[in-house]
Amino acid sequence: MSKQSVDIEGRVLIAGSADGPALVLDETLSFWGGFDPSNGEIIDVHHPQYRQLVGGKILCIPQSKGSAGTPGGIAETLRNGSGPIAFVLGEPDVNISVGTLVANRLYDMNIPVLEISRERMKQIKTGEAVFIDRNGRLSVNR
Amino acid sequence: MIGADMDATKEVLVTGELQLNELDQARLDGRLGKAMQFAMQTIVTAAHIDQADALIDISFAHIDACFYNGRAHLDFVNYMLDHGASLAVPSWTNNGLVSLNDLSVRDPLASREMHEARELMQAYVKLGCNPVWTCAPYQLPGRPGLGDHIVGSESNAVSFYNSVIGARSNMYGDYLDVCAAITGRVPFSKLHRDEARAAQILFDVGSIPQAVRNNDLFYHLLGYIVGRKCGNRVPAIVGLPESCDEDDLKAISAAASSAGSVPLFHAVGITPEAATLEIAFQGRQPTQVMELNVDDLRQARDELGKNSDQPLAGVALGTPHFSYTEFERLVNLLDGRSIDPRLTFYLSTSRHVFEQAKQQGWIESLQQAGVKIITDTCTYFSPAVNGLHGKIMTNSAKWAYYAPGMLPVDVLIASLSECIESAVSGEVMLDQWDAT
Repeated sequence: MSKQSVDIEGRVLIAGSADGPALVLDETLSFWGGFDPSNGEIIDVHHPQYRQLVGGKILCIPQSKGSAGTPGGIAETLRNGSGPIAFVLGEPDVNISVGTLVANRLYDMNIPVLEISRERMKQIKTGEAVFIDRNGRLSVNR
Repeated sequence: MIGADMDATKEVLVTGELQLNELDQARLDGRLGKAMQFAMQTIVTAAHIDQADALIDISFAHIDACFYNGRAHLDFVNYMLDHGASLAVPSWTNNGLVSLNDLSVRDPLASREMHEARELMQAYVKLGCNPVWTCAPYQLPGRPGLGDHIVGSESNAVSFYNSVIGARSNMYGDYLDVCAAITGRVPFSKLHRDEARAAQILFDVGSIPQAVRNNDLFYHLLGYIVGRKCGNRVPAIVGLPESCDEDDLKAISAAASSAGSVPLFHAVGITPEAATLEIAFQGRQPTQVMELNVDDLRQARDELGKNSDQPLAGVALGTPHFSYTEFERLVNLLDGRSIDPRLTFYLSTSRHVFEQAKQQGWIESLQQAGVKIITDTCTYFSPAVNGLHGKIMTNSAKWAYYAPGMLPVDVLIASLSECIESAVSGEVMLDQWDAT
């Protein structure tokens, strides 16, 4: 089988690098109420990825939604080690970025946030190996 | 490792097109202290993400970061306090996770989390916030006015401030709300600008029978539908009855921003930036027009919870916080009757409205009837307040949307009158509200 790789240029919202498996969310998610930051689980019963764990994943998400609690949910899941290793966004998202920025600052972490587009996110499938560099280049290795 | 090197995000700070004035630059350089620097760096990062080229002053902030969501919240505010933070604008607090004046709601001695939740609320008082502890701060005197640039945080309040009052706020989440209150500055982006406030999608409810539109449940179901369908577009609603009041608009705000992201909607002929359809759409055409009918409402009701075979265990009202006029309706509907003692009946409100209701003698009579009234917090999130489990009726789409994921409950959404008749009789009593 020949290896195909996809390269995407994203916009860096929070700089950093990451290397790991993708978890692609089909819908927006609130990280407060729809997410349990103590273990990194999606608990929104209406969400297609209900019960999935985000820990150790490169979390690809169209955008967060709803509650103002999203940055807190992000910071807390990152603080306690149950969070993703990077965020890839379909749209610019201040809440996800600020939660990540605060965790990076308070806990000396380096979790990146990268914006691609909803369209380009379709090229990434759950479970695929994704690499992100500090300049916002994302590659998917198959 | 609290207080890691501030220079770590420097590359983020230089990539935007943002113009900073001298004072902003001093804030950013750390000349006004480390807390101010951290706050300003966060604001500048947000401006970069929004691709804003300027910052503007705000006149008010509603702070959500006082709502406990893990240790990180406490670490953040303690960092700010330890590094000399103070507030630049009047800042009112949202709900806390616990009630500061009723320890029985969620016992602070029961767990480390509840203890920290209380500590967090006290930290925001120390920071200088006005401790109103409510998700419905717009029900209190001294609210912002039309055109004011403010920071709203709790999603229903952002929606209400923008839509019903015409103040201007983006959806500011935790930390950014506090950073804005400390700096007094926000990016001049999105809903702070005229062009982003134009309606894009139209929901027409004019063909739904008047009797259905006059039922309070209608507004919750409508808000849920709008939230599910509008995506990132600003919705306008046409066909709302003249009887539509701030409680009804609160219901739309809360339901739409639970089921989706709706920081602004227009109600044509009702809300201040939508005197006419043309004004709401700023002269443009809707990208989509959706005519809603009673079947859409029935479907929304089913999606928000089914009437299961379980016996009714309780009722939860006041999400967002119960207003003075809702208290009045409740007292009239209850009409001196008592809640079936087998049921738990909770009502959440603010301290301010609680005092108003108390002056009318309503608090005492409701408590005697078996209504448990709580302030400073709410019932729809975990950990469950005492006695809330099993089949719960609520008049709130927001409660119905969130609670099943967080509490051991089975939800049935209903009108206020259905909730009360059911609570009195001890079993589910539904009207033919959707009869056509």
